[in-house]
Amino acid sequence: MRNLLNFLIKYYYWFLFFLLEIISFTLLFRFNHYQKSSFFTSSNAVAGEIYKIKGDVTSYFYLKEANEDLLDRNMLLEQQLANLRKELQGRGVDSLDIDGMNDQIAKNSNLIKANVINSSLIKADNYITLDKGSNDGVHSEMGVIDRNGVVGIVYMTTPKYSVVISMLNTKCRIGCKILGSGYFGTIKWEGRDSRYAYLDDLPRHAKFGLGDTIVTSGYSDVFPAGIMVGTVDHIGNSKDGLSYQLKVRLATDFGKLNSVRVLPKATQMEQKLLEESANKQEQ
Amino acid sequence: MIITYLRRIKWFIALVLIQVLVLNNVHIAGFATPYIYIYLILKMSSGTSRSEMMLWGFFLGLTIDMFSDTPGMNAAATTFIAFIRPLFLRLFSMRDSTDEYVPAIKAIGVSPFVKYVILCVLLHHTALLMIESFSLFDLSTLLIKIGSSTVVTVLCIMGIEGLRK
Repeated sequence: MRNLLNFLIKYYYWFLFFLLEIISFTLLFRFNHYQKSSFFTSSNAVAGEIYKIKGDVTSYFYLKEANEDLLDRNMLLEQQLANLRKELQGRGVDSLDIDGMNDQIAKNSNLIKANVINSSLIKADNYITLDKGSNDGVHSEMGVIDRNGVVGIVYMTTPKYSVVISMLNTKCRIGCKILGSGYFGTIKWEGRDSRYAYLDDLPRHAKFGLGDTIVTSGYSDVFPAGIMVGTVDHIGNSKDGLSYQLKVRLATDFGKLNSVRVLPKATQMEQKLLEESANKQEQ
Repeated sequence: MIITYLRRIKWFIALVLIQVLVLNNVHIAGFATPYIYIYLILKMSSGTSRSEMMLWGFFLGLTIDMFSDTPGMNAAATTFIAFIRPLFLRLFSMRDSTDEYVPAIKAIGVSPFVKYVILCVLLHHTALLMIESFSLFDLSTLLIKIGSSTVVTVLCIMGIEGLRK
């Protein structure tokens, strides 16, 4: 007995070692499977606050580029608006009706604006931290976009912050289609380069070319159809040789993420309700 | 005693902030990221007990994990390095006396200290990056990452060491 006790006292650091390692690995695997461990992520209060301060400082560095981007986009949209107005007036729509439409748009757009306060690029699984949380209406499984295209999907939230699974994450799969032809597949990231992802499962008879635009398919309820994802950069074969695998140049520059928008769930709820009622009618 | 702890906590906070605010965003050529926070573990006095060192390592790693959304990864690797460190220190320091000392060039000599740092850093990075690549295994990228990150981290640590003199 005394020998046993002596043994335990002499080597208890071994037990401590294994205990700590087991705790670490439990945390690691729990994080991968459940969404409840948000305390140990950058969305907890202390980490969030520190990253917010950092984000406040670094966001100034990108102001000029962001401004130019916005100006370009503004110009494009104004041009589009003018064209559409002309077209509508050509078809004999009253100008009062056109103004009425503007009000409707303002009512419907309840996108949540958020700032990126932390992000990573080169890990196998990258996450992004936003400065908006469940208090602002952000909930898990909401889509996140920035001015160029798709960014990712909200993973977990705390009252003030939220963690987003970036597109640069092996867990992230988003349904996409080729603009124009409508052939669809799943886009996923395969590591290494943050500029490219791969679109899988495109059938052999699909027709497309280099430079074609890839947009979200809208089949899932996270992203509506038609949000920019990227352009086709290279056409390859899938591993089993049965379908195409396209190398897609992502439209979003993950190295310069700054302000993003979270897509609200209201439309998703509507779609869900609609699907449910359709199912009921079928029965 | 209390001064030692206060100084350690000061280093803890400083290293965590440097790591998460600056160095986690450094990816030289897309591969090399310095992880200098293990400097705290490397510089603990030789008389520190193994379990105390492992607890420091665990919480240091866990704090880094919280900030970089990798629960458990850094904690596991840093606990491991704290566990194995006394062995390496004994291996490289040729000291006869049993009095306490802080691992440094002055205390154990240039070449043993450099070897000690390189081995510890290499082991830590191997553990950390292997755990990270569980879900995405690619041997050549992994080896490049381990090698380049080790070089950068060792350079940073020797830099801090040089500045502190």
